[in-house]
Amino acid sequence: MTNSIPEIRDADFLFVTGSNTSEAHPIIAMEMKRAVGRGAKLAVADPRAIWMTEISDWHMQLNPGTDVWLLNAMAHVIVTEGLESREWIEANTEHFESVRETVLRYPPEEAEKITGVPAEMIREVARAYATTEKAGIYYTLGITEHTTGTDNVYALSNLVLMTGHLGIRSAGMNPLRGQNNVQGANDSGATPVYYPGYQRADEAEIRQKFADHWGVPQSETTGLNLNEMMKAMGDGRLRGLFLMGEDIVISEPNVGRVEKAMNELEFVVVQDIFFNESCRYADVVLPAACFAEKEGVFTNSDRRVQRVRKAVEPPGEARADWQIILEIMKRAGLKQPNYANVREIYAEMASLSPKFGGISHHRIEKEGGLQWPVETPDAPSTEYLHKGGVLRGKGLFQAVEFRPPFEVADPEYPLVLSTGRTLYHYNAATQTRRSEGLSKKQPEAFVEVSRKDARKLGLQDGQMVDVVSRRGRVRCRAMVSRQVRRGSIWMPFHFPEARTNYLTTDAGDAVTGTGEYKVCAARLEPVQDSEPKQVFPGAFALAGEA
Amino acid sequence: MSKTDTDKAGSREPHNGEPISKFVIIDGNELHFRSGETILQAAARADIDIPTICHDPRLTPAGACRMCLVEVEGARLMQPACAAKTTPGMVVRTQTGKVERNRKFILSLHLADTVQDRETAEDNNPSKLFELADRYGTAGEWTQVESPRQGRSQDENPFIEFRADRCIACSLCTRYCDEVEAVSAITLAHRGAHTTISTVDQLDLTDTTCELCGGCVDVCPTGAMTEKAGLAWGKPERELEKVRTTCNFCGVGCQIDLNVDQEANRVVKVTSPPPGTTVNDGNLCVKGRFANDFIHHEERLTQPLVRGEDGELRPTSWEDALDRTTKGLLGVAERHGPDSLAFISSSRCTGEENYLLQKMARAAFGTHNIHQCAAT
Ligand code: SF4
Ligand code: SF4
Ligand code: FES
Repeated sequence: MTNSIPEIRDADFLFVTGSNTSEAHPIIAMEMKRAVGRGAKLAVADPRAIWMTEISDWHMQLNPGTDVWLLNAMAHVIVTEGLESREWIEANTEHFESVRETVLRYPPEEAEKITGVPAEMIREVARAYATTEKAGIYYTLGITEHTTGTDNVYALSNLVLMTGHLGIRSAGMNPLRGQNNVQGANDSGATPVYYPGYQRADEAEIRQKFADHWGVPQSETTGLNLNEMMKAMGDGRLRGLFLMGEDIVISEPNVGRVEKAMNELEFVVVQDIFFNESCRYADVVLPAACFAEKEGVFTNSDRRVQRVRKAVEPPGEARADWQIILEIMKRAGLKQPNYANVREIYAEMASLSPKFGGISHHRIEKEGGLQWPVETPDAPSTEYLHKGGVLRGKGLFQAVEFRPPFEVADPEYPLVLSTGRTLYHYNAATQTRRSEGLSKKQPEAFVEVSRKDARKLGLQDGQMVDVVSRRGRVRCRAMVSRQVRRGSIWMPFHFPEARTNYLTTDAGDAVTGTGEYKVCAARLEPVQDSEPKQVFPGAFALAGEA
Repeated sequence: MSKTDTDKAGSREPHNGEPISKFVIIDGNELHFRSGETILQAAARADIDIPTICHDPRLTPAGACRMCLVEVEGARLMQPACAAKTTPGMVVRTQTGKVERNRKFILSLHLADTVQDRETAEDNNPSKLFELADRYGTAGEWTQVESPRQGRSQDENPFIEFRADRCIACSLCTRYCDEVEAVSAITLAHRGAHTTISTVDQLDLTDTTCELCGGCVDVCPTGAMTEKAGLAWGKPERELEKVRTTCNFCGVGCQIDLNVDQEANRVVKVTSPPPGTTVNDGNLCVKGRFANDFIHHEERLTQPLVRGEDGELRPTSWEDALDRTTKGLLGVAERHGPDSLAFISSSRCTGEENYLLQKMARAAFGTHNIHQCAAT
């Protein structure tokens, strides 16, 4: 996030897109509710009528996968009505002209045909966004989990750059991270393209710096991203796998293929707190400590590095992940400092990463969470980025053209399936489903279907139904809902017995490799003779239903 | 922005950048204030303590409990500091005999309306009423009034219990549910002495719009709204140790307090730090507050496992498991080259652990094949 979570309450305009905020980030949603209560305007762009649309001024209910059309059309309105911030563009950005030319080809009237959002609404929202000073954009996986994920992000940042909504409080561009420490994992260099602190692995100088410090020459071969790894597993390029805290057999798209590939691997290690699905393919399973049993830091969505503290001892012989990794490194012959605790490990990372150079456990203890960049021990925490101009030179406009999703609905698979989270569960639900209470609130998998589609299929609320795509078939209960529009269906991905990732495609974004979890073609086959049972009592989606 | 601003992540001070120029006199101190500020807010900046019961910085003042009444020059009646706005030149007194007498009186009224025995009253959450009683020396000065409030003891929701005999109808819980969580699952019902906290048609919380955020428990000053988990464990919160940490679910990074029974090595429940102190401003969601059964779940892995000749996974020693791991990985690298290995890290692990895993991939095994499941 370029801004901080507590700044949200003071925003005057919120553009929430591809984020089911009240379910995936309830605390951020509370801040948004507070802003709206103060009189801020809220525009929600989402294929589903999510809870946030209850309090929004505009709901842009776009067809799944048409984000670029919608965003370019908003940019079209801004440039044709002269609402762009000329001076700011001049001073802070490059390549505005190319975007201008591109978006001229995306008029709202055409956009209406493709996205399903009324042209007039596109105009209103674009005007309100451009003319409000404290206007922030908030997005999550609904924007990035597409084959066009990177394009979607560029299209959003074009809006930010042309209006200059950056570098001030309560405005900016704010991806909300889905998991507690996604930000921290990226910061720490758990990515093929970056060393810690976003230092590029393809730059010889950087590689040399780490080689010198670690005392081992660094490979010049580019690493594989997750999506590429999954494919490389299938074609024999990968032969060994080390999994720490992830259950790829549940979480990766087109999981049927992943399972087959896992079987082919020569050696698999799984390190986790539970015996997860991936353990079935493991040669060694290492029992790890959970967050309540270890020390360290997590970095949240607004770049805030905060402490994780040990409250209890791990069960049995389980050990903290860092202790396990150190043991393996030692056995593999890597000479290392004798770290006495995680504080020293953090200090090593900080000494190698200018962005966190001034952060230490000691400072966090004293001052509370610190938001990076903090380059020196006396530098303050950074509440919002790009203050007084775009970081590192000029902000680059990137013209993007609409590309259809990898798979579109057709007569055989007439529905568009999206997947996502619910409030009550988390990822593969290995943790939340072990809570009796949460399992009671939301016990089983379901698929949301519009009333119109349900009627056409003769499907009753709560009846069992097969969801079928080109890659697989899963069975769950139908939830007839006003949240989805005709032609769309939606499933939470938390339930192992109805694994949505048997259905999703593994077509990835060209740049990030992120899978297209948000769009694939599917059809529904009602299961005959099934006793209907309401799946989700008290759900907002059912409110107002007769 | 300075450090202090960051730390006050949740403070309710208006951020409109308006210069503080007007002033008010509280207990003889000349204090500056921003327009719209209440007496309570202005006083807090000068460390003048005014006791409150029904006040919460996140909520619109209700003026319900009358604990915070102070004298304002020129006003016929005492004014609630939590609700009354400051005006230029206003003169306020918070420590007069009249104010003190009112505090004692109000407190004994509320105390008469709740469970009398302190130990029983604080069997789970601490009670603000008894804390104030300590301060104002009113303990034992009241006579019990039989409370006719109707409870909801049949509510089978797994997390939250409402105990009507302790409720003082301050409406903090319902206002929190309305204004912060914005789902209005609970509501004040009935009138006068019968006023109680109810749901539509007396439904179980799980069958209402309730999102099980637990905010109503955190704001309740009397322990009337309480966590079932803490009750079932049977040790009062006072005897548990609070360990401040970061929630391990979504990317908001809420600060949470794990309430630990050290003797039993057990996380009993989760509470939220006070509003105005951390990024979550005293709020939590259902996962952060209630989804902690997994920590002590019987299915946790407790021993390393290795696959034997027969294809079965069996318990083994750490020595063996670590040796097998290292040899296995090195073997693959020898046979097919370092780039035939891949390391998948987790956003569920700490920053230090992610740092170490990428170091292991790059320095110990010579490959950049390191990534994590950032997408889900
Ligand atoms: S748990 Fe949250 S949503 Fe449910 S009644 Fe309490 S405050 Fe309202
Ligand atoms: S339950 Fe607690 S918070 Fe709610 S009105 Fe009663 S005393 Fe106040
Ligand atoms: S705190 Fe002011 S009336 Fe209750």
